[in-house]
Amino acid sequence: MKVKLLFAVILLLLLSSLSFAQDDSAEIDTSAVVEELVLPAPPGNLSGVDKPNDHGHSIDLSWELSPDDGGGLNTVLQYDIYHWVPNLMLELNLVRDSISVIQKIIRKTTNGIIEGSQADSMKKVFEKLSRSELFDVRNSLTEYVKKGNKGLAEACKSYPEGGAWLFLDKKPSGTSTFDHIGSKEFKSSGFVPDFANLYYRVDAVTADGAKASSNILGPIQSSGQWYNTFRTPVVFSVLLFTLLTVFFVQKARKGADLYVRPLGGIEAVDDAIGRATEMGRPILYVLGLGSAADIATIASFTILGRVAKKVAEYQTELLVPTYDPIVMTVAQEVVKSAYLDAGRPDAYKEDTVHFVTQSQFAYVAAVNGIMLRELPATNIYMGKFFAESLILAETGALAGSIQISGTDEIAQIPFFIVACDYTLIGEELYAASAYLGKEPVLLGSLKAQDYAKAAIIVLAVIGVILAQFDFGTEFVNLFEVVN
Amino acid sequence: MKKTSMVVFATIASLFLLSWIVKGMFSEGSSPYLDGFLVTLAAFLTLAIMSFLYKDNPYYKFAEHLFVGVSAAYAMCLGFWSTIVGNLIPRLSSTVSDFFQVNYIEGDYNIFFVIPIIFGILLLMRLSPKAGWLSRWPLAFIVGTTAGLNFVRYLRSDFINQINSTIIPLLIDWNGFGDFFSNMNFSATGQLVMMFSNLVIFVGVVCGIIYFYFSKEHTGWFGRASKVGIWILMITFGASFGYTVMGRISLLVGRITFLFKDWLEIIS
Amino acid sequence: MKRQLPFLLVFIFGAFMTIQYYIPHESSEFVYTFLLDWTMIIGIFALALGIWSLYQVSVEKIKHKKENWVYSYVTLFGLFIMVVLGFTFKVGDSWGLYSVFVIALMAFLYCLINASIAKSKGLWFGLSGVALVVLLGIAYFDDSWGVAFMTSEGLRNTMFTNFADFVMTPILATMFALLAFFIASAAYRAFRARNVLASLLLVSAIIVMLRFNPYMPFGLPELIAELSNWLMNVPNLAAQRAIVIGIGLGIVATSLKVILGIERGYMGKG
Repeated sequence: MKVKLLFAVILLLLLSSLSFAQDDSAEIDTSAVVEELVLPAPPGNLSGVDKPNDHGHSIDLSWELSPDDGGGLNTVLQYDIYHWVPNLMLELNLVRDSISVIQKIIRKTTNGIIEGSQADSMKKVFEKLSRSELFDVRNSLTEYVKKGNKGLAEACKSYPEGGAWLFLDKKPSGTSTFDHIGSKEFKSSGFVPDFANLYYRVDAVTADGAKASSNILGPIQSSGQWYNTFRTPVVFSVLLFTLLTVFFVQKARKGADLYVRPLGGIEAVDDAIGRATEMGRPILYVLGLGSAADIATIASFTILGRVAKKVAEYQTELLVPTYDPIVMTVAQEVVKSAYLDAGRPDAYKEDTVHFVTQSQFAYVAAVNGIMLRELPATNIYMGKFFAESLILAETGALAGSIQISGTDEIAQIPFFIVACDYTLIGEELYAASAYLGKEPVLLGSLKAQDYAKAAIIVLAVIGVILAQFDFGTEFVNLFEVVN
Repeated sequence: MKKTSMVVFATIASLFLLSWIVKGMFSEGSSPYLDGFLVTLAAFLTLAIMSFLYKDNPYYKFAEHLFVGVSAAYAMCLGFWSTIVGNLIPRLSSTVSDFFQVNYIEGDYNIFFVIPIIFGILLLMRLSPKAGWLSRWPLAFIVGTTAGLNFVRYLRSDFINQINSTIIPLLIDWNGFGDFFSNMNFSATGQLVMMFSNLVIFVGVVCGIIYFYFSKEHTGWFGRASKVGIWILMITFGASFGYTVMGRISLLVGRITFLFKDWLEIIS
Repeated sequence: MKRQLPFLLVFIFGAFMTIQYYIPHESSEFVYTFLLDWTMIIGIFALALGIWSLYQVSVEKIKHKKENWVYSYVTLFGLFIMVVLGFTFKVGDSWGLYSVFVIALMAFLYCLINASIAKSKGLWFGLSGVALVVLLGIAYFDDSWGVAFMTSEGLRNTMFTNFADFVMTPILATMFALLAFFIASAAYRAFRARNVLASLLLVSAIIVMLRFNPYMPFGLPELIAELSNWLMNVPNLAAQRAIVIGIGLGIVATSLKVILGIERGYMGKG
């Protein structure tokens, strides 16, 4: 009961301050007519459209420059952009302010509130409340804003009664467009409701402060779109690439013989496992710092599967220390099934794949320790690597292990090249999974990749030839994807 | 323990005790001996890690194992507050959020945040030998979501946009051969160098792509182009290597400064 | 069912995320952030699995007295101390019996681990019982510190920050600094160039190193600086682009194979 009473008091308080706020905005509006000042010519033909290809809540405005901007009297300094909002919006803005003050009190971070501001007086009201009362008030206010926002579209219909012009932004002279990007969050004060009648006005302002208003634009509505036309080139390439891949995979399934050139690093994997077996030493497989979401790690899982299968067949020991817990989970799954496939499920140990820590250099310290103490015959690094690549690869090289690496982190490739016996550069890592299995289906997709590369070369050659002529830019624009 | 390692241990222990006392005596602050201990500890761990360069030894092992344990717990504490309390709790219910003193984030679909909890619990099912297969569902969710995410976004950024930027004019300010030869110079912004550079970029990209061609034998002209490709790749890796070398050396300088300035206070 | 359902999930979510890219609408954005939040939350549950694995591997080592098993205690104590520090905070001006509490807790863990390993289980259980009584007693009667898992008070705990600043940070910084030594040995390795490719790498590395060397005692010939700039801007750009295109296609192809269920290696079925 007490809370409800308090809630009512706060609303009253807010509404009373609202009347002041309205006066303020009215003042701004009339200040345009000051007699001594020479008014500039107003900007003309204000028009607007709902911002295309977006999530809504935004309007693109454009206008014709005032004749006195860059010509005529040449007095225009800037353009002020206003939009009309119903009283409900102003009221909600105040409620939002008080919610943020309460949040700050709850989080004990009120220091930022400027002395003497409106928020400061709110702070005084709220600080007297107990913690649970604060939570209750805040929740009721949030509920109020939520309900109020639903009524905004309706309230906008009352134009021009029951509302005020609110200053949005200013643009320097010579500008004739403005994108009003509103917030989609109803809790934000920049919230712009979709499917509500919006009204805009642009004032040309001189250095003396004289203002001349354009025509009023509206009603205009914003809304979200269901298809982003800017991204059509991507649709085409997705379709083409998918078709190519599916075509070659089908072809491979039917038994077509697809050639792939040999890759040094891949051939070395089998030899390395054999070597480890002969020496009676383990194999260390490092998946890198990537998460299970990184495609490089996913490619590495496939390679790990092949390695684990061979290891199980040869009965060598495998060590897989991991950095990411989800990667650990997946890797356990991969290794376990590889042992199962090799017909040796009994040889699988749960701690073959184990978690170390989710801190880059602690992980490196631990892996270094493994290299020096377990003396693996072969170290395989496949996945995402960062600054630690060099420490790992050098320690391994000093310990005398055969090293095979592969990463798509361009900055780390040089270190692997220097310190490892074999390095898969960039795309070769992704190709490796297809290679190791020699599965026709996976090889099929390599073929599709190669066609895409051929396409790039052909397009680049055409483009370079066309770039010497005037219509080159139009060709380039075909591959332009605006954000 | 061997005799020599005992001696080493005793020496190190007494040196660090000495450092602690000295640092404690000359430290200013509310708790000088704590500060002295902490700086000495940090110096000990720094040297312990560096000793690894000589060979693996008990001090390195100690520092390494401590680091692993502490950092794992650190990640867990941080993850708990940033993700569980920061992201999950505020969506569950306003009562729970109030208890954790975070702002309840209103939403009509907050009920769906039960799903990641369920997925998380399914993931923990791994620990049970019977229901372990259930843990594949959350993994499938994560892999599927990110594969979809990467598929289109990389196609755009690494494929379409790259075609776009490879299309460059090979002839710059071309006004015929006479003009070209009469104005020829070797300055970096000159016509000759600019044209040569654009040619190198174009040829480099094409040959580089040919190097990554898998389904055709690298023989004949194709093999030669691929060879040019790997040359350009190697030059690039060298440049990147050299660049990083210079950057890393400054890091070492930073660490040595700590030892000599903050701990031993030899240099100021 | 057991095998097929995960791949169906992969396809559904993968296809959704692919299509989502073209839909700018608010509801599509909403689902997008929703899914990303989910993956993060699942990640934390996985971290619990990870910590469990770390604990198990360490205890296994101690149990079987494998090589260097003593250090596993260091890992375990580091782990538990840090967790305890992260969830407690100082209420008053002094820490009271807090240090005794932490020591009792470590003793409790030590005894518990031993109880699961040693033959004389009764003794160790008894000892851990004593430690438990001590730590519970302190936790109950000592008001100078408190436990907080609702707020991140623990992250501001001075002990916690001290551990982070004087244990983690120096080790981390030193590991990072080791890079400088390793880069020297890597450079030496590169110097023993055996073929054309390695020599190319070496030559361009030297040119760039000369350019970015701040301690160059003699005036750097202008040519080296220009050549190095040209290397970084021209061949570098070309090669980076070729690699990026390759990697991009690799990622796209692998993602597509994953979504379509062609590539199944990551689920342990290759």
